[in-house]
Amino acid sequence: MSNSSETLLRVSGVYTAYDKADVLQDVNLEAQAGKITCLLGSNGSGKSTLIRSLLGLTPPNKGSILFDGIELSGLPTHKIVETGLSCIPEGRRVFPKLSVEDNLKVGAYQEKDNTVVASRLKEVYDTFPRLADRKGQLAGTMSGGEQAMVSIGRGLMGAPKLLLIDEPSLGLSPLFVKENFNIIRRINERGITIFLVEQNVHQTLAISDYGYVLSKGSVVASGTPSELSSTKEVHDAYFG
Amino acid sequence: MDIGFLAQYLMNGLMLGMMYALVAVGFTLFFGVLDVIKFSHGDVLTVGAFTALATYLGLEQIGVTDPATQILVMVIVSTVLIGGLGAVIARTVILPLRSAPPLNTLLITLMLGTVLREAVRLFYPEGGNPKPFPALLPTDSVTFGNFNLRLDNVLMFGAGVLVIVGTQWMLNRTKLGLAIRAVAQDEETAKTMGINFNLIVFITFALGSALAAFAGVMNGLYYNEINFGMGLLLGVIGFSAAIVGGMGNLYGAILGGFLFAALQTIGAVALPFASAYKDVFAFAVVIAIMAWRPTGLIQEKVSDRV
Repeated sequence: MSNSSETLLRVSGVYTAYDKADVLQDVNLEAQAGKITCLLGSNGSGKSTLIRSLLGLTPPNKGSILFDGIELSGLPTHKIVETGLSCIPEGRRVFPKLSVEDNLKVGAYQEKDNTVVASRLKEVYDTFPRLADRKGQLAGTMSGGEQAMVSIGRGLMGAPKLLLIDEPSLGLSPLFVKENFNIIRRINERGITIFLVEQNVHQTLAISDYGYVLSKGSVVASGTPSELSSTKEVHDAYFG
Repeated sequence: MDIGFLAQYLMNGLMLGMMYALVAVGFTLFFGVLDVIKFSHGDVLTVGAFTALATYLGLEQIGVTDPATQILVMVIVSTVLIGGLGAVIARTVILPLRSAPPLNTLLITLMLGTVLREAVRLFYPEGGNPKPFPALLPTDSVTFGNFNLRLDNVLMFGAGVLVIVGTQWMLNRTKLGLAIRAVAQDEETAKTMGINFNLIVFITFALGSALAAFAGVMNGLYYNEINFGMGLLLGVIGFSAAIVGGMGNLYGAILGGFLFAALQTIGAVALPFASAYKDVFAFAVVIAIMAWRPTGLIQEKVSDRV
């Protein structure tokens, strides 16, 4: 799967509006199976709206979101998640008054088989031994870096085909930001396709296979990391 | 005062506290998952009590006269039907008003309560009059001086404890409970974890309403009489109990329920010349507590750390 270049996610002609004001206008992009695809863009460019559209939280008004052969637009969020999509939301959004272990278990909510849940739990604890030490602690009482681990672990508990990661480095210390990018690469090496939304251009392009630049709700540039790092649009999107 | 007398008051307070706690748990569940206050809750309890009574009369008609069977069927029919009613209310009244200001939900559920109450009064045969409720539990008793411990009270209290412990266990130990708690804390993130939000709302409203129906049956068995207005005061008391305990907190609701009953009992004991004022006394103390601790006795421990 990771060597083929089949398209896992295809977004075509998506328009999304809040209160009738279009935020996304005719967005077209693809994510190849097994790869890391990134979406760059400054604040207010519509990145989070695109994630919300993919997840059905703010359904698109027009256009198609084809994921693994299934049309997602119009489906309720829990049905979308059922097709194999998982997300690590912006700001981590751990459940503050649930224990670390309960947070992780919610991530595997759609898995009926308890032995599967237990083995995924063990995998997450192997990846983040710190979480195993603190499984009974309320997630809301942990540090930002630890909450990031909970949020990432929770996203993995769903064993997704595609993992949406929204601004993982926001509000974290530089040291942990670097660690975070390493973790994302390791997740991808396990065969999970990643769609990464970020502001942090250099570190994002360093781990991505392909990227898009979003500005004012439209894709203004796309290409491989080396192509993108030299384009005018990337500079304009951030510094213009 | 005589110790046996006090024991009698204590027993009465425990019975009332259990009923209040059952109602308060419903309020706190609704507030937890949807941040709504559903003022028709007390009248849902009334409908539950009348459903149980109608079931009893139906069973008598078809010749089922074994009290144990009767009570079991009454409780099951009442909790299941009222649970369904709760889910229907959530579907048709509460969820469609989600994007409206919270005041609208308050107003609409207040009106819904009136509709339910008046429907019982008008459509139940002679619903305007108090109805005798059968004493189906064994009334054997042991007497210690002035204290008369009745078996039916012990059974009712035990059943109430089981229901509350069962609810607590479900919320904290099962996957469904985990989903309810996740939705209560962060609705949107819960959705992105694959939780069917609407379904969880329906289940929560069904559960809270079934608890109210159970309290209604308990009330009928305890006083051997029900009337169409019984839910009014029980609803207000259950709401106060939930608020005093700390809205959204299960243990707070239980604590609040028993606290209110304790206050009523203290009021009745301390003011023997004017025990009619026991509710006034209890509500006055509740007001004082709210002034002292505006967010309730069990406060939310909010962590702002990121």
